[in-house]
Amino acid sequence: MRDRQKELFELLDKSGANLFALLTRLTLREDIAEELMQELFIKLNDYNGLRKIRDWNAYAQRVAANLAFDWRRRQKRACLSLDDVPQLASNDNSPLINLINSEESQEIIDAISRLKKAPRQAIVMHYIQQQPYEDIAEQMNKTTHQVRALCHKGINHLRDLLGSKRKGIYNVEH
Amino acid sequence: MSNIDENEILRRLEELSQIKPTAESTERAINRARQTIADSESHKAQRIIFKSPIIRFAAAAALLICAGYIIGRVTSAQPINIEQLRAEIETSLKSSLSANYEQIKDELHQQVQQDLTEFAAQTLAASTTMTDQRLMELIRMIDAARMQDYLRVAAAIEKIEMDKARLGDGLQALATKTSELLRMEQSITPSKTGG
Repeated sequence: MRDRQKELFELLDKSGANLFALLTRLTLREDIAEELMQELFIKLNDYNGLRKIRDWNAYAQRVAANLAFDWRRRQKRACLSLDDVPQLASNDNSPLINLINSEESQEIIDAISRLKKAPRQAIVMHYIQQQPYEDIAEQMNKTTHQVRALCHKGINHLRDLLGSKRKGIYNVEH
Repeated sequence: MSNIDENEILRRLEELSQIKPTAESTERAINRARQTIADSESHKAQRIIFKSPIIRFAAAAALLICAGYIIGRVTSAQPINIEQLRAEIETSLKSSLSANYEQIKDELHQQVQQDLTEFAAQTLAASTTMTDQRLMELIRMIDAARMQDYLRVAAAIEKIEMDKARLGDGLQALATKTSELLRMEQSITPSKTGG
């Protein structure tokens, strides 16, 4: 148990900021990202097979992404009114506010959440977390070529998803 | 054809990747996570305790009892006067105890009497049986002694009878001898006087 704590502290020192940034990028809410960050480390601490994981950083990123996408799905189901949305943690001039106000970010994240597991993971790690293909390949236990293919496949799928959505909106409006 | 091309998607992803949380919120989130890890052992223990169905059942029962008590207190018509309640309880206990005392005393008395009667009856029965046995034994012993006496008397009488018969024979023999002697004497005496 003490070893686990020590390892989690090391993970937090090494990758805590990156994990929090990932959660913020996928939720677009700093307050929610803080909650999910706490939930993430509870999950990591409770996971019995943690010693079998080869790369904790990669595993933590996967869990963080899943937590964020789960939160988005729950939000969609909840259908909150505008009055129920809490105030954001950042100030008005931050780029985060600008992005939240833009529907584009919400659209792309929703589309990413609809991808299959492997392409979604590759897209998040490469395009959102800006990790090189070699690192992703190592973390996903795949070759660089396979990761590139996954990213390409994911982008194509995203294009289909976003395109079909736009068409749907266009048809309804006209 | 799609209205969004690959470049547009990559641009949006690039925008997303540029989002950086504030340093304050990052620090706050990391500290919270650190605290979570530090508290993890106690949290784990709590989770394990509350996973147990017995504990959960006990907690639910305790909550129900508390809720019942609170509802009872809230819905009661008047506030409870503790002194009055204590006096009433005391009186009730006293009367209840005195009534119970008399009843217990009567019951105990009856029980003791019943036990004594039963014991006496059992003792008497046992004593009578033993006396009967002793008397029967005594009677048997007396009968045996009497029978032995009868036998001894009978033997003595028989011996007397035998002695009596023997004496008669002797007397008869003596009489015979005596008469023979008398006849001999008479025969001798005439010759003397004639001669």
